Amino acid sequence: MKPRMIGTVVVAITLALVWFAPTVVRTQQAETSAPAGPAPRLADGHPDLSGVWWGGSDIGAARGRGARGGGRGGARGGTPPPTFMSLYKPEAAAKAKTLSDKDDPTLRCVPTAFGTLNVSLWDVGAVGQIIATPKMVVMLTETYHGFRLIPTDGRPHRDDQPPAYRGDSVGRWDGDVFVVDTKNFTDNTWMSAEGRVSQHSDQLHIVERYRRVDANTLEIEATVEDPEVLTGPWTVPKQTLVLAPFDRILSLNCSGIETQALMDAAAKQSK
Amino acid sequence: MRRAIRTALVWSLVSAAATATAWAHHSFAAAFDMNKPVTVQGTIVQIRLENPHSWFFLDVKNASGKVERWAFEAGTPSGMVRNGFKPGIIKKGVEVTIKGFHAKDPTQNAGMLRELIMADGTVYGMFGSQQGPAAQ
Repeated sequence: MKPRMIGTVVVAITLALVWFAPTVVRTQQAETSAPAGPAPRLADGHPDLSGVWWGGSDIGAARGRGARGGGRGGARGGTPPPTFMSLYKPEAAAKAKTLSDKDDPTLRCVPTAFGTLNVSLWDVGAVGQIIATPKMVVMLTETYHGFRLIPTDGRPHRDDQPPAYRGDSVGRWDGDVFVVDTKNFTDNTWMSAEGRVSQHSDQLHIVERYRRVDANTLEIEATVEDPEVLTGPWTVPKQTLVLAPFDRILSLNCSGIETQALMDAAAKQSK
Repeated sequence: MRRAIRTALVWSLVSAAATATAWAHHSFAAAFDMNKPVTVQGTIVQIRLENPHSWFFLDVKNASGKVERWAFEAGTPSGMVRNGFKPGIIKKGVEVTIKGFHAKDPTQNAGMLRELIMADGTVYGMFGSQQGPAAQ
């Protein structure tokens, strides 16, 4: 191979690898591009949260770090913030040691109670859609057919809802921040997925705060309590999502049969 | 030279995607042996763009001529579809070569898909035909 050709190939490989460092590259691009317009507003004057929200990409690397601000709870220098699992009571920690990847409910198409990347809107995936009206905010997840119907008129939690994978949510406005209170979860899901053992109880209580910073940016903060499993509240690292360049998520099936079977087989093999 | 560059690019993209995905999904590392590469050639019998991960099924003739069904796990359908892997893009009955990593259980005819190569040389990674932000 001629030196010039080698150089070209090296450049090509480098470009390809840079391509796959999407978080850093695209974050810098976003920060240097023209500022987005103001957040649109609903007829009642509140910010309109509607849109498809993601971290900027579907690719694996972006899935892990897609949303700026932590994803898995990453630190911005200094001591890393506590994770959900680090707050386990001793009995919960002991139970966690008996579980592994193959016990992950998402392998059987059961959604998470919160979200793999610390974003409830996404559940297991890395994209979600909000459809907002003055009376109801609808949150749709792409990966596991999840939805949350969140009334905004001040009504209490419903008393006719059986415990649910994604709980029961009510919302209210705190200025321009949409506050979502969710409880009444089942106790047979995990907080997140993909092998991170994160069981919780039916006492799980999640409060999220959504703020549409501008037309293209959505910030989400959340606090998680579970007095039966955790030693104290878990403050979820703030997540910053961006508006996706498409207006509909996909409708995707889940079977999980082969994945679960392979996981079981691999677990037996390792014994 | 064009071919060399294309080959280098494909390998870079595929290996980067495989690394990223293995990192993103504990289940891949738990189910597949990343030290045991596998290559099979056969006929596509089914493709399922489903969660939690997509699956490619193909019939492969073994050394004695007997047809065996193989299954390869690929990426999430969200990423595959939005990266150009539209449903029906690979038809049932076409001949393909799949390279990947074997399931940890050696008795399973199963693996993690790293790349799928069509008869005309077109290569698909585990996240579809175009693995990059520009593909969206």
